Amino acid sequence: MMNLQDLEKQVIRMEDIQEIENLQRRYGYYFDTRNFQAVVDLFSDSADFADLESFGLFRGKEGIRRLYWDDIGRGSRPRDPSESWISTVVIQIGGVVNLDPSGVAAKGRWQTWLAETFLYGGVPRQYWVHGYYENEYVKERGKWFFKKLFWNVTFFTMFETGWLTQPLVGLLPMANPDGPPTAFYPYPSGYKFPYHYNHPITGE
Amino acid sequence: MATLEELQARITRLEDIKQIEKLQRIYGYYLDYFEFQKVVDLFSDNAESVEIADYGVYKGKQGVKRFYLELLGGKPPRIGELSIGMIMQGVVDVDPNGKTAKGRWYCMMIEAKPTISLHEGELRQLWGNGIYENEYVKEEGKWLFKKVFFFLNFRTPYEDGWLKVPVVGQHGPSKEVPPDEPSTYYHPYPSGFHLQPHYKHPITGK
Repeated sequence: MMNLQDLEKQVIRMEDIQEIENLQRRYGYYFDTRNFQAVVDLFSDSADFADLESFGLFRGKEGIRRLYWDDIGRGSRPRDPSESWISTVVIQIGGVVNLDPSGVAAKGRWQTWLAETFLYGGVPRQYWVHGYYENEYVKERGKWFFKKLFWNVTFFTMFETGWLTQPLVGLLPMANPDGPPTAFYPYPSGYKFPYHYNHPITGE
Repeated sequence: MATLEELQARITRLEDIKQIEKLQRIYGYYLDYFEFQKVVDLFSDNAESVEIADYGVYKGKQGVKRFYLELLGGKPPRIGELSIGMIMQGVVDVDPNGKTAKGRWYCMMIEAKPTISLHEGELRQLWGNGIYENEYVKEEGKWLFKKVFFFLNFRTPYEDGWLKVPVVGQHGPSKEVPPDEPSTYYHPYPSGFHLQPHYKHPITGK
């Protein structure tokens, strides 16, 4: 028979998983609304790194700020109203979140389906993109933050061509990463982005 | 005021739903990578059936193995073959007994597959869409698949779209790995048939 203390622990675990799912989804919505300061603020001050597609590895909170604020968000440069067509829809799908027994660390796998619009060769182009996340989270002062964000791109194709015809367009390394991307193997490489979890039944 | 036992039962229900959601999503990730043995291991030994689109009904754990390992996994995937299933929007209902459950999910598919048969012909890039109505069972504290049923809405070449070409690459039951029974509900777009949900209306109860 369970006592009140055990029950409380179980409630906390359920709340933690819900909080982490919300954190991951909020990241997507902040990205969509191009609020990159808000994205940076979802990372712990002691965050390890962010590693997105071909951009390279950005270490520490300072590197994460460089990636999202300086590079993707183009820093404090005011947005040209004529660029309102630029858009990034990053749909966060299929969260498998596993809490560490410590209760202050967790890992999550997700996949993303993106519809993007930005300049390519001076021309506005529309893109379909797919990828998987394997992220790590940390609980500090009662709140969940990103500790590591690792997004593995499957393909990055133009709307007019599709992934089989043209798996990859428009991806370049950022100017100032701390290292090369650790696992950039887009389609059709057949690369399997490893799961953080074991098989739930066989344990393998 | 709820008793400790009642609270415990309620927490267990919430945990069950979360476990089932994870099971369904993990299933999707294994399928993305053609890891069919891992998929089979997510099914109960007392599994009822698996039925996908027009392939027909494969019964029991033996049928589940034949479907995933022999039919889908009979040959290794070709270079460039892609089979991504984005499983979304789960509605999971745990039965009052706490041992069985049902779930409805959307699946949006991003694929590159041969369309002449499962393994032959030129690769085509495809969009797909359908709905799962699955059943789950809890055994020894773990949730497993009891039944997988997938209703194919459309699978269309990227260049054409669902209005022009609703379905490609479906050719009925396999002759090499035949099903135990024919399909029970294969009515892709634009048949006008709709797969009814397992649940009653949450407000009216109808």
